[in-house]
Amino acid sequence: MKLFYPEHRRALEVFYEKEADNYSGLLESLAGTLEKEVAPFSATFDANAGGIAKARRLLFEQGLCRMPFEFHGGLSLPFGVYLLAMELAGAADAPTAMSLAIHNTVAEGIFRFGSDDQRKTVFGDLLSGRKLASFSLTEPSSGSDARSMHTTATKEGSHYIIDGTKTFITNAGEAEVYFVLARTEKGPSAFLVESSTPGLSVGADIPKLGMRGSRTAEVRLDGCSVPEGSLVGEDGRGLDYVKSMLNGSRIVMGSICVGIALTSYQKGLAYAKERRLFDKKLSDMQVTREKVANMRSDITSSRVMCLYASRLKDLGSEYASEAAQAKVLSTEMATRVCDQVIQLFGGYGYTNSDVHRHWRDARLLTIGEGASEVLRMLIAAKELGASG
Amino acid sequence: MTDVLTFSDSPQLAGELTSAAASIAAGAGGTVLSVELDNVREGVPRGPVLLLKSANPITGDDLRIASAVSEASKRMSSPIILIGSTKLGRMVAGRLAVAGRMCALADVRDLKLDSGMLTGVRDVYAGKFNAKVGSPLPCVALVPQGAYPSPGGSAATVEELVVPAVSSGVRRVQTKPSQTSALDLRSAKVIVAAGRGFKTKEDLALVEKLARALGGAMGASRPLSSDLGWLGEEYHIGLTGVYVRPNLYLAIGISGQLQHVAGIKDSKVIAAINKDRQAPIFQVADYGVVGDLYQVVPALLKILGAG
Amino acid sequence: MNVAVCVKHAIDEGELRADPSGRPQLQGAQAKMSTFDRNAVEEALRVRESKGGTVTVLSLGSPDWKKSLKEALAMGCDRAIALSSPSDLDALATSYYLSRALQQKGPFDLVLLSEGASDTYSGLVGPMIAGWMDAPFIGYARKVQVEGSSVGAEVSLDDKTERVDAALPCVVSVVSEINSPRYPTLLQIMQASKKPMEELSVDSLRDDRAPQVTLKVLDVAAQSVNRKKVIYEGPPEESARKLFDALRKEGVI
Repeated sequence: MKLFYPEHRRALEVFYEKEADNYSGLLESLAGTLEKEVAPFSATFDANAGGIAKARRLLFEQGLCRMPFEFHGGLSLPFGVYLLAMELAGAADAPTAMSLAIHNTVAEGIFRFGSDDQRKTVFGDLLSGRKLASFSLTEPSSGSDARSMHTTATKEGSHYIIDGTKTFITNAGEAEVYFVLARTEKGPSAFLVESSTPGLSVGADIPKLGMRGSRTAEVRLDGCSVPEGSLVGEDGRGLDYVKSMLNGSRIVMGSICVGIALTSYQKGLAYAKERRLFDKKLSDMQVTREKVANMRSDITSSRVMCLYASRLKDLGSEYASEAAQAKVLSTEMATRVCDQVIQLFGGYGYTNSDVHRHWRDARLLTIGEGASEVLRMLIAAKELGASG
Repeated sequence: MTDVLTFSDSPQLAGELTSAAASIAAGAGGTVLSVELDNVREGVPRGPVLLLKSANPITGDDLRIASAVSEASKRMSSPIILIGSTKLGRMVAGRLAVAGRMCALADVRDLKLDSGMLTGVRDVYAGKFNAKVGSPLPCVALVPQGAYPSPGGSAATVEELVVPAVSSGVRRVQTKPSQTSALDLRSAKVIVAAGRGFKTKEDLALVEKLARALGGAMGASRPLSSDLGWLGEEYHIGLTGVYVRPNLYLAIGISGQLQHVAGIKDSKVIAAINKDRQAPIFQVADYGVVGDLYQVVPALLKILGAG
Repeated sequence: MNVAVCVKHAIDEGELRADPSGRPQLQGAQAKMSTFDRNAVEEALRVRESKGGTVTVLSLGSPDWKKSLKEALAMGCDRAIALSSPSDLDALATSYYLSRALQQKGPFDLVLLSEGASDTYSGLVGPMIAGWMDAPFIGYARKVQVEGSSVGAEVSLDDKTERVDAALPCVVSVVSEINSPRYPTLLQIMQASKKPMEELSVDSLRDDRAPQVTLKVLDVAAQSVNRKKVIYEGPPEESARKLFDALRKEGVI
């Protein structure tokens, strides 16, 4: 199964011109690794609801997570090149890509808002993959409405005691470092909690519709004592940091969705060229050709939107709205395309996880990392001001 | 008038090469000679034999063989030298080509003489395409097993020739015959082959059973001998493994990558069992069963009365 | 130890398509480092890791062939030699120019290659290089061990495996079972462009032994796959029965 296509090369040429050759070489090499060592196992990860640790390790070793960062072993590559790498990873196996993307969101948070010490130690560990991170914000009663969280962090001398429950946490149970949002007197704040902290426990894996390869579980913090050096940035500013971290993260999720959609689309194309009915090939029928044109336009435009948002990020421009637009468009596009591909395969799509898995994987991403509804509120607020 | 010299380290191929030589030399007159080393091998039907002898045994060493064959070819004018395409054969052909500054055609069949040029057909691009290639004479051609029939008859005349002893510099410290011979696979009429679809090495017993029940040999795709190490390389069928053309090739749990298909595409009938409907093997099979091999194979064994 | 490894920028046979006349669309066809060459590069790197020294990677030209050299540099080779040449050289000429480059840019203790190219497999270039260089040739090695001034190997031939050794300098071809090639990290890929790559034209390498290219490619055509492609889906017992009946009917069992 091929992963690196001429369209990736063209995207690089359009956005990066003279550097396209170099970036192409990098991504082609990464694609080669993904094709041989990750993609062939994707169906198994889904069937067994797990097993991505080895694939994740390989991508850490390749340096995937180092790509967008500038210090402590970062590769200083443009965010768009990282996005295309994540698109390829998403095409190979979406749960693995998502697991790494979330890990990298925490890495970005520490890099931008953490102390010198945290940058020197934890950040390096995350980039190399020596430690896996988990982003713990969502609670049983607060997803989109993060501000209403119940997890607390009470100051006691030179420690904080954290109490609460987080749910739907990716990488739970596998991570060594949890980026936990907990409410202090000043408001929601960000803490780094080691997995070995007494009082931290992880629940059973929560069975999911898709993205089954990645671990998702409840994380309980029962009187977890963490040194005050675990606070990331300023007390009470946790959600400001999260808002900022999620911008980049949202574009990455969008790119992962482009990868999922492309993989699904390629399978659909191959099938349409082969399948015969009413004395014709499926691909010769007008109704199919219209679907192909729509899917093709959908995928290309989503990729371009993500790369556009990434260029704004690299330029240091305000990009929260564009990031939100990229995510809304790409994630909704992915379920649309993958749904269409299942339709193309007909009964063979509905009964074959190699086809329906892509729709199931994509289906999460209009919910997680900023539900589409919340993102639309954000986009509209930018246009119209806050609603009355 | 075209002279043809033939040699193979494989007795089966050595016989087939004389058919090949006969088919080329037929219209063109000339001498056909097959070369044997050290002693005349039993049971290999062929025509006139040139037995090469030397102070040290020639067999098994690429340079020694090549230099001996080269000596033999000196008595012919611009000959065609047919070498049986085995691993050793390739090494010998390479040496011969350099020594004689000759072209070497690899893995060619349908050999013809055309206006002083030897032409043949070979697979290229892992068997996706056929190439018709040609070379002026003298030249070397590697001929694969099964491209020509085994001739009838036996050794006609045997002439001896003493050739100078030559050292290749490679010392053989130890030799161990393989469990199954690649040559056995090449001559098998039925082959049952296993791929990555099998979960454990022990499960391969199913394949052994089925092969036995069908009176055939067992083979495998590359992962089983290289990545997994469940079987020796001599079982590996494919572009860099054994090339087979049985009457029936039954691929079980094999996805059907190009490299594997390159080794089986000339089989008379190809059948496959795989649980993945999209597996490429179904594009090259006459009969395909989409299903779990762990259920289909036992069912098949039961029908054969071997369950 | 000076180790050399020869790689081929081969046509990607998986991606190669036929044009309407059935001929391969070679113009602009995708190419990549020949599949098994990675194993040869990996083995060269392992020899350097255990014995020290340098690894030089060489490749004979075709469009974009420096890409494969860059990949080998990214895997860890120290320097690359790119031989630019016309694209229609046969094995005899290819091996000749490689041997000339090896002699001029050497001396090398060990020359490694794969057992054959993934696009035009013949297994001839290795023994031919040994022939041009008057060196011993060890073919189809599944294990290589350099000890002092000799190399030992375990080789797998058609019906036997052998343990052999030869004095250096020696030419060795390796089989893919020998190792698992490493994947270069992104950082290594980025740094590969800083490693030395020298370009030579084959014209500069010619001496009076240079062979003419006499191999003619008269035609290349797609192999037609004329298989019945009958598929049985359903309960295993039924499918097994149908398969058995079909094979019986074919007369193959």
